[in-house]
Amino acid sequence: MTFRNYVKDYMGMGIINGVILIMILIFLRAFRVEESAVFVVIALYVAAVMLSLLWDYFRKKKFFDHLLVSLEELDKKYLVSEMIATPGFYEGDILTEVLAECDKSMAEQVADYRRQNQMFREYIETWVHEAKIPIASLRLMCHNHPDLDAKMISQLKLLDDNINNVLFYARSENAQKDYLIKEISLKKVFHEVAMNNRVIFQLMGASIDAKNLDISVLTDEKWLEFMMGQIIANSVKYCDANRKLELSVWGEEASDKVLLHIHDNGIGIPASDLPRVFEKTFTGENGRKGAASTGMGLYIVKNLCDKLGHGIHILSKEGKYTEVVLTFFKNDFYKMKH
Amino acid sequence: MQKILVVEDNETLREELKILLENAGYEVALVRDFSNVGKQMADAGSDLVLLDINLPGTNGEVLLQDFRKEKDTPVIMLTSRTGKMDEVLSMSFGADDYIMKPYNPTILLLRISAVLKRGLRKEQTRHYHDVEVSLTKGSLTRGDKEQILTKNEMIIFELLLEQQGEIVSRDELMTTLWDNDEFLNDNALSVNISRLRGKLADLGIEDGIETRKKQGYVLK
Repeated sequence: MTFRNYVKDYMGMGIINGVILIMILIFLRAFRVEESAVFVVIALYVAAVMLSLLWDYFRKKKFFDHLLVSLEELDKKYLVSEMIATPGFYEGDILTEVLAECDKSMAEQVADYRRQNQMFREYIETWVHEAKIPIASLRLMCHNHPDLDAKMISQLKLLDDNINNVLFYARSENAQKDYLIKEISLKKVFHEVAMNNRVIFQLMGASIDAKNLDISVLTDEKWLEFMMGQIIANSVKYCDANRKLELSVWGEEASDKVLLHIHDNGIGIPASDLPRVFEKTFTGENGRKGAASTGMGLYIVKNLCDKLGHGIHILSKEGKYTEVVLTFFKNDFYKMKH
Repeated sequence: MQKILVVEDNETLREELKILLENAGYEVALVRDFSNVGKQMADAGSDLVLLDINLPGTNGEVLLQDFRKEKDTPVIMLTSRTGKMDEVLSMSFGADDYIMKPYNPTILLLRISAVLKRGLRKEQTRHYHDVEVSLTKGSLTRGDKEQILTKNEMIIFELLLEQQGEIVSRDELMTTLWDNDEFLNDNALSVNISRLRGKLADLGIEDGIETRKKQGYVLK
């Protein structure tokens, strides 16, 4: 709040005071009042106006400066109404009241959306579990009628995977409530993922090379399984049509961390797309060219890695390979507790 | 014949499970009325129970807890919940294994036979005609001739031997191999089978493994 802008704002009042002062002068002249008395009256009048302006300026300045500084410092601007000082003047009181009212109404609105969101999320979870029942039945039917094509099973598998993605996305937003961090063997997790994808690998004639996975890491088992599943689903999706998929998975142990490499001989990722693959809904060159892509898979994986404290990076050469490396840091604190 | 009790409220799924298990040579009993499941479980006299977690009016975990107070029949939990917390819970209530929907039928069968076999002590030597099969040494011996099998070949031979005279599908072989962390592809399986044939032939058993086109293999 600057004095200049404040005075500018009170220009109207200044003009009215000026006009009245001139009228007083005319009046005093008409009564032939002495020059020195006129001077005193003018001086007193001007002083009165200036003093009242200054007094008003400083009490408002104190309030508004505090308000602006609070606003500046706050991370969540809408909380400013909680920080507001007692204004002690009428306009300030109105402003405070209005802000408080807005705040309350917004809080109600947000709570409402949060509730709706929560209900929707719960509905999605229930829905996913419901949807799994017919899928389970279909799988059994496929098995009980061996004349049905293995392609049908692989389509069912895709359907099941897609449904799982919805579930995991709905959960990943507040994954912290859904953690169970313990020591997990990479071998066990890869085993699950491989078994899940066996039919598709077999149909593709893929070869799998799993080495050195007898390492334990600290993580949440089902989230890691999901992440590896996503990464391998990408290898399946973006494999090169001219050669059979070769997937290598290996662990590497360093003093303070464990690295998990997942390497395929697929179409790779163009160098220009590489920095952006973790962005939400980014589909890139490959997404446009071939397989349907939502751009969500790696985004969720990255998101989960951040929440679980794992590192992830991708190496790739277009037309040659893609390698995803997950980094698990060793944390003595967790170990001591178990 | 071993008897399996299926406790699953979805009718389609239940009937398909019945077909699956009957095809695999088990006797199957179904729970169709869910008003007193606990009693039916206790009275069924089955060798194994497949128990769904989400049931109308009750849930599998509670049922399991009550059931365990009376019997120690093996129980495998079936569920569509994906949280590993359920697994921990079920195990602590005394489930012997846990499978998530939609389960791979072959894996389900593998788990069932594994749980049923658990009590029985696995014999380390078996016999195939006059060949001695040593699981610990991984070898086949006939008279003074001995053949060492690789891990893969042994897994294949063991599975064929367990179901001697019956067709074992490639899918079943693959699932079993993968379940043992041997991630073979189709070609590699064929190579392993033909090597196994070669080793049997070296022991003097020609045509021990017969190929049934589009169905699988039979160990004669």
